[in-house]
Amino acid sequence: MNRTAKEKKELSYMKNGTSFYIIITIFLMIFSFAASLLIAAFNKLITSHDKRLSEELCSLISEKMNNSIRYMTDSAQNVASVLSAQNFSSPAEIYESLAAEQSGSYVSIGFIDAEQKIYASEQELKEFEKWDLLHVAALADPVAISAPYRSGTTGQPVFTMFSNFQYGSGQKGWLFVTYPLREIQNIASSEALKEEIEIWLMNAESANIIQCAGPNEYSIGSWANAYLAMRDINPDDKSAYDQWRGRMLRGEASATLTYRIGKVNYTQVYSDITYMPGWFVVVRLPGSALTATMSTFRNQVLIFIAVLLTVTVLMVIIMYRRNVRENTMLKQLSIHDPLTSVMNRRAFDFAAEQRLGRPSRKEACLLFFDVDYFKQVNDRFGHEAGDRILIAFSAALKKQFEDLGMISRYGGDEFVVLLDTASKIQITALLDALTKEVHQIRPTDNEEKNQGFMLSFSAGAACFPEDAETLGELEQCADAALYIVKERGRNGYEWYQKSDKTEQQTS
Amino acid sequence: MKKKLIAVLCCFLFGLCSCSENAPPVQEENAERGQEFEPLTEIKKEQKNIYLVVKALNNSYWDVVIDGARSAGEAFGCNIWYGGTYSETDWQYQADLLDQCMQNHADAVLISPDDSVMLAPKITQTYSEGIPVILIDTIANTDSYDLCYMTDNLIAGRNAASEMLRLIQQRDFQDSDDVNIGIMVGSVASQTINERLAGFFQFWTQNAPENWKIIPDIISYDGNTGLAEDLASEMLQNHPEITGVYGTNNGPTAGFAKTLKAQNRTDISIVGFDYSESIAELINSPDFSAATMLQKQFDMSYEGVRAALSLIDGEENEIKFVDTGVVTVNRQTLSSPEVQEVLTRN
Repeated sequence: MNRTAKEKKELSYMKNGTSFYIIITIFLMIFSFAASLLIAAFNKLITSHDKRLSEELCSLISEKMNNSIRYMTDSAQNVASVLSAQNFSSPAEIYESLAAEQSGSYVSIGFIDAEQKIYASEQELKEFEKWDLLHVAALADPVAISAPYRSGTTGQPVFTMFSNFQYGSGQKGWLFVTYPLREIQNIASSEALKEEIEIWLMNAESANIIQCAGPNEYSIGSWANAYLAMRDINPDDKSAYDQWRGRMLRGEASATLTYRIGKVNYTQVYSDITYMPGWFVVVRLPGSALTATMSTFRNQVLIFIAVLLTVTVLMVIIMYRRNVRENTMLKQLSIHDPLTSVMNRRAFDFAAEQRLGRPSRKEACLLFFDVDYFKQVNDRFGHEAGDRILIAFSAALKKQFEDLGMISRYGGDEFVVLLDTASKIQITALLDALTKEVHQIRPTDNEEKNQGFMLSFSAGAACFPEDAETLGELEQCADAALYIVKERGRNGYEWYQKSDKTEQQTS
Repeated sequence: MKKKLIAVLCCFLFGLCSCSENAPPVQEENAERGQEFEPLTEIKKEQKNIYLVVKALNNSYWDVVIDGARSAGEAFGCNIWYGGTYSETDWQYQADLLDQCMQNHADAVLISPDDSVMLAPKITQTYSEGIPVILIDTIANTDSYDLCYMTDNLIAGRNAASEMLRLIQQRDFQDSDDVNIGIMVGSVASQTINERLAGFFQFWTQNAPENWKIIPDIISYDGNTGLAEDLASEMLQNHPEITGVYGTNNGPTAGFAKTLKAQNRTDISIVGFDYSESIAELINSPDFSAATMLQKQFDMSYEGVRAALSLIDGEENEIKFVDTGVVTVNRQTLSSPEVQEVLTRN
């Protein structure tokens, strides 16, 4: 059902003031803003939570590492105690006893007697010389641990523990046990966050570090120096790092540090190692380690909310569209004449009053039409033909006046047109064209039946504001002009004259 | 409007749900990546076949390694085949060469891995095929090998620090004097360099007087050898108090040596690695205080071939790692038989 541009304009009051889609867009923007705030708050919470948890986690892991080293030193001390309790006749007998017990996770085990004679394999003797291990043994009180070195026997990084004990007649000897560096990691290993946590041994004075655990298991045993390894630390964090290392150099038991390298925030904790003076366990955890877990949860929540929101918005849109369809149908029924599709009287009166009541109103013209002898058409050809006539007549009206105004069926065979012009020349031309077109309308498709039939109309016209200033008055004026045409015998039109004189024109 | 709304919704959801995935790296296809196995010695059918895979071809250091293998092959009567890559990073090509060793039923393999981590699985596979595997110069991060002949770089770094102490003491510096050592490295990621650095620090902090310090600002040219001289000049300019400089490998050593020579800084001692013309010039000059550490790469492959033949004969080795050591070259040791022997081979 086509509505003229004028109709649309005049009936625009019947639409909702604000577009539904604008409301939806605003809603989504507000939702996005709120979601952003929520995410920011969540991230902030995660970050602060991570920092606290990372510190605790690093401390726990360094403690665990320390415990695993202590476990090894305790084992060495226990073996030394057993050796002390036994009555060996010679140092060689002690070594034979140890050699017979070759098992466990260590690389080698041996003995140093009071004369500094080393009872060990040929390869071990080379290691003692190469790494000055006797010097470390002398520091044992009761235990000392060497710095890590590469074992000739295994090719892997190892460290050697020394535990002093009494043998024979109160002579001082040293038991030594060499462990793979990996053994510390094996004892202290943890499945949780093993892809993220880095564990080093660090020498405070030289700043040398050796990796014990990390995301890449093949990097275990790799040496580095912290002066070089930490050169990319964020300049703002350098003083904090220097303070952290300063505490290590002063021999404080532990300290925590947070810093950034590139875009990654790290939490780093050191703790001292009993029996390994100058060496510290350092545990480092990237800030993203815990955040990654929480971020997964956060993203799942966001996806759930997004899906829920999408479903809700889609449901609202579907319901809105259904509502619009129903409203449109109801509007059609309330605005238009169901037979001819032009406006009904009520809608026309409302729209015309709006049009004429505006402060910026311009001149207009109201035309009243009557289809001549319509009752006879009905009687002769039937109601179906009558309906056909009305539909064709309204179509002819639309053709001529659609671009200039609103068209309405006032009832029965009466039509009214309100034009946005009062140009009599223009309107007269249109009425003449209408007259010719209406003459061509036929009640049926059967030419025989149509024989002798010619449809015509009568019309009266009145101008605004020249003839009247209200719709009611304008209708009365147009009706008066129409009356004159009817009186004169129909098939014509007439302009309203205030002096009641009419100018008649015949077609 | 409706379409726009749907588009906005889609973008919103996509933004929430999308996750980035890095595109897989494109494998560089290069027909000239390396050299397939060619005979290094006269091939005799009745002799054992030993395959040598070097890190880089057309390189003076690796030419010495190849010479060592050739000499051993001729001395001990075995066939030596050699191949390798043109870059020191193309571990995939080395993996292909190891596949060929397995296909050719090699009696033993000597290899210097371009990547200790990435090549480890292929070395493990070769070893599990029952082929004796000897690592040369560089260790792999696996236990699946028989023997490794290389410099213990931690010890080499310690030796360098010891030599630096000696050179400075030779210049009559007292324990109470301020001494400052500057360090330049060629890369921050190389395990070899890191061990030489750690060894230097280890020895220095244990043995140097309290006032003899290492400047914490260690500089690296990160693989760009051309920067070595500029960085050396910058360091000398930024640290006028500098007493000695240490280069962890050939590039930094040569960079320091050229700069000291150009600026005639005879007041600065230098210790480095390898025997470039620049460092040799300073060592030979009585005005400069210079020394360098020389690796014994000839021995690595020579002894490697000898060990491979023993393993083929079924002998078992008690050790897995042999430190071939370094020799310290300075004005005093330059004419010693040991240094001359290494210099002649290199």
